[in-house]
Amino acid sequence: MPKLRHIAIAAEDPEAMAEFYKKAFDFVEVGRPNGVLADGVFLSDGTLNIALLKFKTDQLGKGMDFRVEDVDEFSKKLESLGAEHYIDQGQGGHQAGYFEKKFFGPERVLFDIAEHGWAGAEALPDPVKQAAE
Amino acid sequence: MAKLRHIAIAAKDPDAMADFYVKAFDFKIVRSNDGPLAYGHHLSDGTIDLAILRFKTDQIGRGMDYTGLHHFGILVEDVDDAAKVAEACGGKHYMDQADPARTGGFEVKMYGPEGVLFDIAEHPWTGTEPLPAKVKEAAE
Repeated sequence: MPKLRHIAIAAEDPEAMAEFYKKAFDFVEVGRPNGVLADGVFLSDGTLNIALLKFKTDQLGKGMDFRVEDVDEFSKKLESLGAEHYIDQGQGGHQAGYFEKKFFGPERVLFDIAEHGWAGAEALPDPVKQAAE
Repeated sequence: MAKLRHIAIAAKDPDAMADFYVKAFDFKIVRSNDGPLAYGHHLSDGTIDLAILRFKTDQIGRGMDYTGLHHFGILVEDVDDAAKVAEACGGKHYMDQADPARTGGFEVKMYGPEGVLFDIAEHPWTGTEPLPAKVKEAAE
């Protein structure tokens, strides 16, 4: 089963917001993304990557992100269910630690998929172990 | 360490949206509810609760037509201690769970920086993983 491994919060001041969650909940800073789409702070609770981002374009800033086994296979499935492809990472290349494809789902809710994990996020469970359980 | 274990998405049609995520990602519906705060479905990937809800009040000041990420929830060891720490860090208390017998959902709601709403709870959201220490305790 795919796993929800990343959540992106739109922030005016990502550093101040990150300080709050680090102090309040002991979340750990695992990165400082500064890209074309956004800059900010990546936090981790050991399972999820929690991105506090100042977006540079209006992507709606309300996304969540799923780690999957195979991005291309999943993309086909999503499109067959009515999801609308929005953008790929780096002109079709992979950049570990970030989204690989973005889609709009029902009601234009933006979400990402990736087969390489987000920084600080837990890997997918071992399929053999999962099958045995 | 506390764990983020709940993400709530505001939807106009929670039935259709939940159906999409069940079909697309094989998530399981672990609870459906129609309470005073919202109507909708709670999906689980085995670790996280993904709640797809039509809210009945405007909790985040974005209007009743807003759809998208609404709030998230953090599982903590002790909800009272965590609320005190969050308040000392500048968080503002919003509301407590009205039903003291209700577990598997939020226990306290707070606003963090920039008015971002979050929940805290010391009982895991239905269908989600407990804190690692609790898993270890249960195994011993």
